[in-house]
Amino acid sequence: MKKDFLRIDVTKDFPEFRLTANLTVAEGEFFSLVGPSGCGKTTLLRLISGLLQPDHGRIILNGRDLTAVPVAERRIGFVFQDYALFPHLTVGENIEYGLKVRRLPAARRLERVRAMLAVFEITALADRRVQELSGGERQRVALARALAPEPFLLLLDEPFAALDYGLRRRLRRELKELQSRLGFTAIFVTHHQEEALSLSERLAVMQAGRILQVGTATEVYTNPAHPFVATFLGDANLIPCTVTPTAGGLQIHPQGGRAFTLPPPGTGADAFGHSSGGGSGAAGTAGQFFLMIRPEDVVFTSEDPLYRGVVATWEYLGYGSYAEVKTDNGPLLKVLTGKETRLALGTRVGLAFQKPALKLLPINGDYPS
Amino acid sequence: MTGVKRANRFALILLGLFILPVLAVLGQAFLRPNAWPELLAFLRSGQFRRVLAFSTSQAFWSAFFSLALAVPGAYFFGRYQFPGKRLLRSVMILPFMLPGILVVLAMVVFYGQNGIFNRWLAVFFPGRNLAFTGLYGYKGIVLAHVFYNFAFCLRMLGERWERISPKLEEASAVLGAGRLTTWRRVILPLLVPTIGYLGVLVFLYSFLSFTVVLVLGGYLYQTFEVLIYIEYNNKLRFTHASMLAAVQMLLLTGILALQRWTQRLVQRQSGEPGPLPPLQPRRQLVKTALFLFYLAGSLLFFFMPLFFVLLRSFKHRGQPDGAWTLDNYRQLFGVGFRFVVGRDLWTVVGTSLGLAVTVGLVTMVLAYLLARARRHQPWGRIDLWLQVPMGVSFLTFAFGLLKLVGRALPPAFLIVWAQVFLAFPLVYALLRTARREWGEELLEAAQTLGASGWELFCTVELPLMRKALSSAFAYGAALSLGDLAAVLVLGQGKVVTLAVAVYRLIGHYSFPQAIALGTLFILLAAVLFMVVEGGYRGFGSGGHEEGSKQ
Repeated sequence: MKKDFLRIDVTKDFPEFRLTANLTVAEGEFFSLVGPSGCGKTTLLRLISGLLQPDHGRIILNGRDLTAVPVAERRIGFVFQDYALFPHLTVGENIEYGLKVRRLPAARRLERVRAMLAVFEITALADRRVQELSGGERQRVALARALAPEPFLLLLDEPFAALDYGLRRRLRRELKELQSRLGFTAIFVTHHQEEALSLSERLAVMQAGRILQVGTATEVYTNPAHPFVATFLGDANLIPCTVTPTAGGLQIHPQGGRAFTLPPPGTGADAFGHSSGGGSGAAGTAGQFFLMIRPEDVVFTSEDPLYRGVVATWEYLGYGSYAEVKTDNGPLLKVLTGKETRLALGTRVGLAFQKPALKLLPINGDYPS
Repeated sequence: MTGVKRANRFALILLGLFILPVLAVLGQAFLRPNAWPELLAFLRSGQFRRVLAFSTSQAFWSAFFSLALAVPGAYFFGRYQFPGKRLLRSVMILPFMLPGILVVLAMVVFYGQNGIFNRWLAVFFPGRNLAFTGLYGYKGIVLAHVFYNFAFCLRMLGERWERISPKLEEASAVLGAGRLTTWRRVILPLLVPTIGYLGVLVFLYSFLSFTVVLVLGGYLYQTFEVLIYIEYNNKLRFTHASMLAAVQMLLLTGILALQRWTQRLVQRQSGEPGPLPPLQPRRQLVKTALFLFYLAGSLLFFFMPLFFVLLRSFKHRGQPDGAWTLDNYRQLFGVGFRFVVGRDLWTVVGTSLGLAVTVGLVTMVLAYLLARARRHQPWGRIDLWLQVPMGVSFLTFAFGLLKLVGRALPPAFLIVWAQVFLAFPLVYALLRTARREWGEELLEAAQTLGASGWELFCTVELPLMRKALSSAFAYGAALSLGDLAAVLVLGQGKVVTLAVAVYRLIGHYSFPQAIALGTLFILLAAVLFMVVEGGYRGFGSGGHEEGSKQ
């Protein structure tokens, strides 16, 4: 399996923003690009497919520089957000299209179409017009059409966006299973954090034309490298704090809360996200940071709490409850509790953090120098 | 040069080819000695007042009656489902697609002094001496305009009504409003923009009416169009004709501004047609009876005339009580026909079809190239400018063209030029809407699947645009086929089309032959109509308008 099956190092300027991307995708990998609308995910897909040309840089697929190769010759499959199925063709003809324009003999085309119809369990729909299909059926046809010409790489641009929640979850599972079975390399674009976390082997979080972090779903969720990544993938409390290095570790002064000490950088999984004694340039320096803690890692306590405050919001979620606590002189903190806890609005509470889950994140995305 | 710049340059060239002849008319009208005193004198003259009063009043009544008759039908079409609704809706647009001269012919056959209508009056009201004698006059002109526009109004208004959710009526009822209050406070305000738009459109078409007024009005009733033609053709006062054309253009500016305003109001309205309840004859006896009565009346007054053109073409000398015969058709091949019309039948048909096919093709190609080039741009100022020919009469444009390049180019070329540019706004709006409707994604999908160049065009673009392109071609061809004014002016007597032939036959009172030729003409128009209907996607829904010069 090639680790750098796809290498992208491109920039593209638009009047409103600049897209800069530098990443690699391994062969057979399911890679996701995740970020809010307008961050450049689809643009990056279009650059890879050749529908857009980069201003600078190169795109190399399986050792071949694709930058100047026309779209039609790249053999990169594309599943569009609205599927872009040809309304003048039947399901079978849609799937056959890519094989026909590549001048495959009729017998081989037929065989391949049949195979794709069977793989996607849509044989009964072969003669239907695409207008007669449901959302889920259209999605399958779009996937079958894109995979029929056996592309080197499959690009999926928010293919579940138009579907309802239940169907979306089912198709997500099916897509993942199919990808494992057929082994194609896929880049999947979504703005849904849940989708990105559940589907991807690795993912890249994008914001305003930049890739902020690349890693596995667990890495990116547990060790976000940027405040935006922390809040975009999952919910997070970001508390401004001052960090002072001391002999015993890092002295943390969270805004409006009680100061406490964290282990020094490089000792186990420290608050800077290093898994072993790394201690890169940014880590271990004094300055202003965000203290990041996920709501599920904030606990109610009456013994020596870091914050005290009153319950401002309480939402029962079934599997637990979600609360917002207005701290005394401090920020509003989000708490996710187990289902056994029930508190009335206005109740005075104390809050503590599970220290291994604490992360220090650079303010504005950059570590202080 | 970027694609946008190329598209804009192309649009400007097309606009220039249209505007130059118009400028030629304005130039001849105003850039000469004594132009302004003559203009002032004309504006103060009784002739100006008479023509203005007639043009505006007949246009007003034509619009009023077209809408008044359309509203009840639109209610049934917009609120109920019934068998044959789709077919009826399709057929309704037929009169609107007919060449003006055929409408006149149908009117004469049905409502004329010896027409079917007067015979029926005599049969049903014996001894009462009832007869409709006003065909050649004010009433006849308004009747012909209503005949032309009523069904079109009914169809468009019905489609708008369908888009008003029945839930609004339910919400109004729940809030305590009665039926009348709901109609007055909810439904009517939602229909008013469409009513206003249609009213202005019919007013505009009737104001610009040429063929109907020329034949039914004689010298007593004249629109500006007819007056321009008489000044140019009969009195040979070219500069005066130019001045009249310029005055008409100024008057049209106001009407066009109003039309644009109402069109914007209509475009701002949204709503998709939802499921409608069926009209149930058993449970809604009165309503069903009223609808059937309405339908029968409409068919009688608006479709019988066409039917009787067809019927009488097979009667001896075109008389209703004559024997069945093919003589009228045989006479089309005779010397008499050639003597009156100036050409034999095959030449007339060949000329008409040749012109129609050329105009249809050229208009379709030019409009599609521009629509394709501007597919990424939203509807903008350039597109709006390209709609301007809608508000200029065939006659004025033809007149300008004659002035500009009349001596340099052969008549057939001039006719094609004029008809292409007058069909262009409609065809362009249709193709631009259709091309933008499916965006770029399908082409991109085809590219990612390996298609490029011609393959992309032939396998995706052409099949997707086929219906719109065939509609566009048919519109262009139909406009060319029905045009009388541009052919009369630019053909200089040398180009004889079917419309000119029917006009000459009516002028020579050769009604049997006129009816037979008219029947062939109706069949040809019906074929084009079917092509248009095949590609039809909804009138007014895409922001384009339909038009025809009467």
